[in-house]
Amino acid sequence: MSLVMADVRVLRPVAEDGSGWDAEAAIDIDPAEPVFAGHYPGFPIFPGVCVVDSVHRGALATTPEQAGVLTLAAVDSARFVGAVYPGDVLRMRLRWRRDGPDWLCGTKASTESGEVASVRLRYRNVS
Amino acid sequence: MTAAIDADGIHALLPHRYPMLLVDRVLAVEPGQRLTAVKAITLNEPCYAQAKNFAYPAALLVESWGQAAGVLALHGDPGRDVLDGRVMLFGSMSGVDIHRQVFPGDVLEHRVRVFRALGDTVIFEGDSVVAGEPVLTVNRMVMAFRPQGEGR
Repeated sequence: MSLVMADVRVLRPVAEDGSGWDAEAAIDIDPAEPVFAGHYPGFPIFPGVCVVDSVHRGALATTPEQAGVLTLAAVDSARFVGAVYPGDVLRMRLRWRRDGPDWLCGTKASTESGEVASVRLRYRNVS
Repeated sequence: MTAAIDADGIHALLPHRYPMLLVDRVLAVEPGQRLTAVKAITLNEPCYAQAKNFAYPAALLVESWGQAAGVLALHGDPGRDVLDGRVMLFGSMSGVDIHRQVFPGDVLEHRVRVFRALGDTVIFEGDSVVAGEPVLTVNRMVMAFRPQGEGR
């Protein structure tokens, strides 16, 4: 599937620390991304759900080895506090932890202008 | 299926355009209260252009539900005059459970209710089903309607 064309760049691979797993990733928001044609004509804004999709792809690129193969079970929460525009670099700080049988990935996403979203995704093991 | 709001009406209400206009038809609407809308998923979706896996992206499933909520907010009294010419901004969501993946051939039926409306902010809840089977539950989705250019 390709909702956002640009690839995820892993800036810092996932590593375990005292309270979970931590990683950093980024996506360059190309002005040529097809979504901008329709969101919105004449005033392109990167859709909030595309931020969530970027976080999801960042999560899949930084999944802790112990988690196995995961599928997205829920968007526990997502809060959008700033807009993402064509040409921005969307940086993501991803923190993983276990929650019973599930894996949670809590992410702060930001651009040069500051924080844009805080997203917590819930994954379930399917391996 | 009869349409309470057809593609022309949706096109007139929502600022979204191809490839991000993800509601096909509104089946029923009670202005300011509730709405049922459908979105058919096909292999011709632009998201499948380079695809090897044909699960419909969860983000687009949520976006489609959110646009159905947008139609509810923008349609009819009392909202329309207040919201005219404004941009729909996605504020937040919580408790959005994905029960199963959806695929080309599935027809999503989105059921949206207004949980609370506070000025230019509207809180929605509801779910989506395919052939009566639950695929998505939305506990809360918050949208804000702001003058264009004001940002968040």
